[in-house]
Amino acid sequence: MNDFVIHAASYLGPEGFGNDQTGLRAWPPPLQENLSRIQLGGLHWSLLSESDPSRFLRMDLMCRLGFMAAELLGANFDAMTPARRERLGVCVESFTGSLDTDIRFALAPRPTLFAYTLPSTVVGELCIRFRLKGPMLSLVSPDAHGANALGEAVEWLRDDDAEMALCLGIEAMNLSTAESIPLPKNLSPRSWHGAALLLGRSDNSPREKPLPAGALVDICRTLSGANQFLNPPGSKTSKR
Amino acid sequence: MGSPVETAVTAPAAAIAGCGALCANGPGLEPLLRAVASNSTALRPRECLIGKTSRPIVAGFVPDECVSQLQAADPEHADSRAFLFAVAALNQAAHDAAAILDSIPAARRGLVLSTTKANIEALDKLVRRQSVSSVAQRHIQPAFLAADLARRLDCRGPAQCVSAACISGVSALQQGAALIRRGQADAVFVAGVDLISQFVLAGFDSLKSLDPDGCRPFDKARAGLSLGEGAAAIVLVKRGLLSPPSIFLSGWSTSNDANHLTGPSRDGSGLALAIQRALAKAQIAPDKIDYINAHGTGTPYNDSMELLALRSVFGDRVPPFSSAKGIFGHTLGAAGILETVLCVLALRNNVLPGTPRLREPDPLAPDSLLREPRAATHLYCVLKINCGFGGSNAALVLQRTLP
Repeated sequence: MNDFVIHAASYLGPEGFGNDQTGLRAWPPPLQENLSRIQLGGLHWSLLSESDPSRFLRMDLMCRLGFMAAELLGANFDAMTPARRERLGVCVESFTGSLDTDIRFALAPRPTLFAYTLPSTVVGELCIRFRLKGPMLSLVSPDAHGANALGEAVEWLRDDDAEMALCLGIEAMNLSTAESIPLPKNLSPRSWHGAALLLGRSDNSPREKPLPAGALVDICRTLSGANQFLNPPGSKTSKR
Repeated sequence: MGSPVETAVTAPAAAIAGCGALCANGPGLEPLLRAVASNSTALRPRECLIGKTSRPIVAGFVPDECVSQLQAADPEHADSRAFLFAVAALNQAAHDAAAILDSIPAARRGLVLSTTKANIEALDKLVRRQSVSSVAQRHIQPAFLAADLARRLDCRGPAQCVSAACISGVSALQQGAALIRRGQADAVFVAGVDLISQFVLAGFDSLKSLDPDGCRPFDKARAGLSLGEGAAAIVLVKRGLLSPPSIFLSGWSTSNDANHLTGPSRDGSGLALAIQRALAKAQIAPDKIDYINAHGTGTPYNDSMELLALRSVFGDRVPPFSSAKGIFGHTLGAAGILETVLCVLALRNNVLPGTPRLREPDPLAPDSLLREPRAATHLYCVLKINCGFGGSNAALVLQRTLP
């Protein structure tokens, strides 16, 4: 474990967004005011990046969160050589998975939506965006807090299956979607957040100041703590 | 050609102690082996509702009598077909591996589930305001389905669920092997399950991926895939726990095309990368592979891409290869495990499976494409490959030891 470092860490959720260098920044007022108004397009995207917003706007909520979490890392993937990008793995873990999109597709099937009815689509989107060809894994866990994904990423590094690993924990559920069918609340948590870590060896950082390995524990706690947002205080509950 | 001894010592390994299956061919391994021997198909037309219209769909449906028997035996889970199917396959695999499982405590047994949509037909019913049991609703969530299966099998070690499109099965086997390799479990049940549902039919129909006449993998006139449903299970154990002869997983890898969400790369480079990595992990050269079980869905783009990838890795010496999709259809999250079970049967019985429903091979296909099954004189190393949405690719190397 000591051979590896966290190059970058990011988070976005109802209370704000940021990375290990910037700290948490508050969302603009429209999003702060009402958690049910999750509109992670246009305005909010423009805060983070100017690259290919049209593709971003086609994505479902899970992919948008993963995409933004990865962008928030501030790692310069584009500057990496193709050989290095072939050795960068992507691992995602979630509880809710693609349920938000599943429900929307079941209500109104559309070919453009079908591709997003898989929890692993976010990995595909990230690989396309950053031209990553390394190993990939998509886990759906009852106790999802990113620890399984993190463990797998570390194993990739340890086994030399990858030289860097992008590790994501995402929960994505629009309140309006969750309330559109009579699904129990424990199956469709009304929440959204995304967290990303970029792990690698200490000698290959894409940023100038990687976090020390000891910070892993704190990051794990942060990811675990993200579970509290599954049922945020004051959030609406199902009417059924 | 492969060797039973060369790579046995150094390669990472988890041994296969038991297998189970339930698919369009029915329950158990015998119907599968018969289908391989006779090169027959279990794909049948059935009237299905897609959107608001009904029309015949050629697919691999689990026989109604099998479903009825499973429901009668477990009425509490009668409307969670995903759970019933998976339990049926897992119980067979546990029975197959009973001798070794008896010596492994529950706390050292793990479970990895592979599925793309779990019990998705319950969501179909909810949307239509139809009655659905709480258990069937719970199993819409793959994570809960995995947890309940682990409870049913008394696996008190790690329980995980891989949901990675059509590479889920091979990816789950990799996870199972990794859990054993890391010492987190001594035995891991790896199960795959998926259903033919209105949801899935609507999706593939909207993408115009279904061949109305049924799939024809690697055929010159192939026009799409045929869906299948069912479950398969494999019990992996620490290799040292099994006495030879044994079949073990010696190499595995995944990769991404970084090209397109629903279409494969046109050059096959992503799949080639996964194959090369798996061979490297198994520490064997390409010419050691004796048989390849391809993804072979029957869609024009997938099969072309696979042929390019095979040429890229194996050059002019592509080992004998075939697709099993013509037997039981594309079972999605179960595919990687069901087709690996087929590979295990091939290794156990020294047979090279053919490609049912193939009429006229794609002119770009190497001569080693197996139209019909044939007896194998030398079968030790098998390569299993799968590809899926999101540009995902996976490869797995299975090897057999001598007694």
